[in-house]
Amino acid sequence: MPNRRFLALPLLVLAATLGPVYWALPEGLSIARSLGIVLGWAGCGLLLASLLLMLREPRLAQGLGGLERMYHWHHRVGMAAYAALLAHPLLLAAAAWPDGRQLAWQTLSPFSQGWPVWAGWLALLLLMAGLAATFERRLPYRTWRRLHLGLGLAVLFGLLHLVLLGIEQPVWPILGLAAFLLGWRIVRQDFGRAARPYIVHRVTPVADGMVEISLKPLADGLQAKPGQFALVAFFAGPNFRGCGEFHPFTVSASGADGEIRFGVKALGDCTQNIQSIEPGVLARVQGAFGCFLADRPAIPQLWVAGGIGITPFLAQLRAAPLDQPTQLLYLYRSESDAAFLHELQVLAAKDPQLTLRAVATGPTLPDLNALLPAAPGLAQRDCYLCGPPGMLVGLRQVLNERGIKPRHIHFENFEFR
Amino acid sequence: MRRFYLSTTVLFWLLVTAFWTASLWLPTPEESLLLAAEKTYTPAELAKHATAANCWMAIRGGVYDLSAYLPAHPSPPELVVPWCGREATEAYKTKTKGRSHAPFADELLARYKIGTLASDQAK
Repeated sequence: MPNRRFLALPLLVLAATLGPVYWALPEGLSIARSLGIVLGWAGCGLLLASLLLMLREPRLAQGLGGLERMYHWHHRVGMAAYAALLAHPLLLAAAAWPDGRQLAWQTLSPFSQGWPVWAGWLALLLLMAGLAATFERRLPYRTWRRLHLGLGLAVLFGLLHLVLLGIEQPVWPILGLAAFLLGWRIVRQDFGRAARPYIVHRVTPVADGMVEISLKPLADGLQAKPGQFALVAFFAGPNFRGCGEFHPFTVSASGADGEIRFGVKALGDCTQNIQSIEPGVLARVQGAFGCFLADRPAIPQLWVAGGIGITPFLAQLRAAPLDQPTQLLYLYRSESDAAFLHELQVLAAKDPQLTLRAVATGPTLPDLNALLPAAPGLAQRDCYLCGPPGMLVGLRQVLNERGIKPRHIHFENFEFR
Repeated sequence: MRRFYLSTTVLFWLLVTAFWTASLWLPTPEESLLLAAEKTYTPAELAKHATAANCWMAIRGGVYDLSAYLPAHPSPPELVVPWCGREATEAYKTKTKGRSHAPFADELLARYKIGTLASDQAK
């Protein structure tokens, strides 16, 4: 990743944090009170940055190093804001402690304070409840997503807390910006106003619980490169009712006429339902995102795919013959799970640069060390990994142990929760 | 991150509980703080203390020296300082669009009392 794009995100978060802190920097107060005020404003800035990082705009994602990186930072920045905002009232109460324990409690308790403190407490409790729901993976995705979006309410109540305290001058613009970012996300992304209309053209079962769906654009199609993914929502057809939620799917092929294909594996309720999709179903597509296989150097490469993780590599092989000697290690549980295997064998037979090794691993994680090529050859290669999270963790560990530097290991998790 | 969330949340509630428990064991605030000297000040004397660094206000008949407290007041100085050196009961009662200060503020205010405001006849 270029340095400019690598630095853009941390610099953005730093500016969003330090800006309000600088404006509100207290003078002549006790250390505890000063720190309480600083952490309150830092939390406010971090929450604002976190809101910006949840936008799914291809250009913004490109400038900040990719959507996945934005989501990674969205989670961590949100948690940092939470910790700062929890410390804020505690430090203000601690500052009052020398004047009396009762006064310290009254500083903290909303029952002895007015509406400003009630609004602050409400914001904290909404943050607490929203984050509790965020970490609850057993919730159905739709419920989870709504509860997670409810965290936006916490931001608005937090800013209302400042307005009620009489700090209006910088807060109204911040409140406006927060409402704008939330509205942008809800209208353009969740309601799909930023998405392009498509129609399902063809559906091909490619393995147990996995189909390849070909979509044709109903207006201007998006330009997707191999290794990218898009957010796709499927709606209704003559005999099919989609869940209408946007889910990330990796591009498996992209045609000159705007046709785009995705591999969809049944991993949850919505994707299980998609297995029975039919031609004629309307869809909306946002993207494309990601730079997984972009800017590959002209050196030999090792690609390792696990299950559905074969799709970005397949898209690259379908797009054009390879420029670099490439070994593709394709891992799948059993022959019935080996999506696209026959097509891959045909492509490998035609392309002298490609060496394919396909391995049925069984239901458990295999001995990855034994499956990878011998160390001397591996050291001169760039490694591209795509597969389930457990496999990625194991592969990165093995590659690190073999002395492969992190800059030669490329991967994407495609994790959005 | 889940572990971080759980640990920060549990620690927060433990500390909130600690503040609450400590407040129950507190002996009542020292009488000396609540019984301010009943010295009387005229409006002219009050008006001499009209800056942020030397700020007296008359509220509900009492005179308060808020110079030390002003930097800690949550509202920006431009909202509060104009009331220094003046009778500020109405401003105190109607802050944030018609709402009065909370009982907490009343208790805090008592700590800064230095006397009472003389009536017009006493001037």
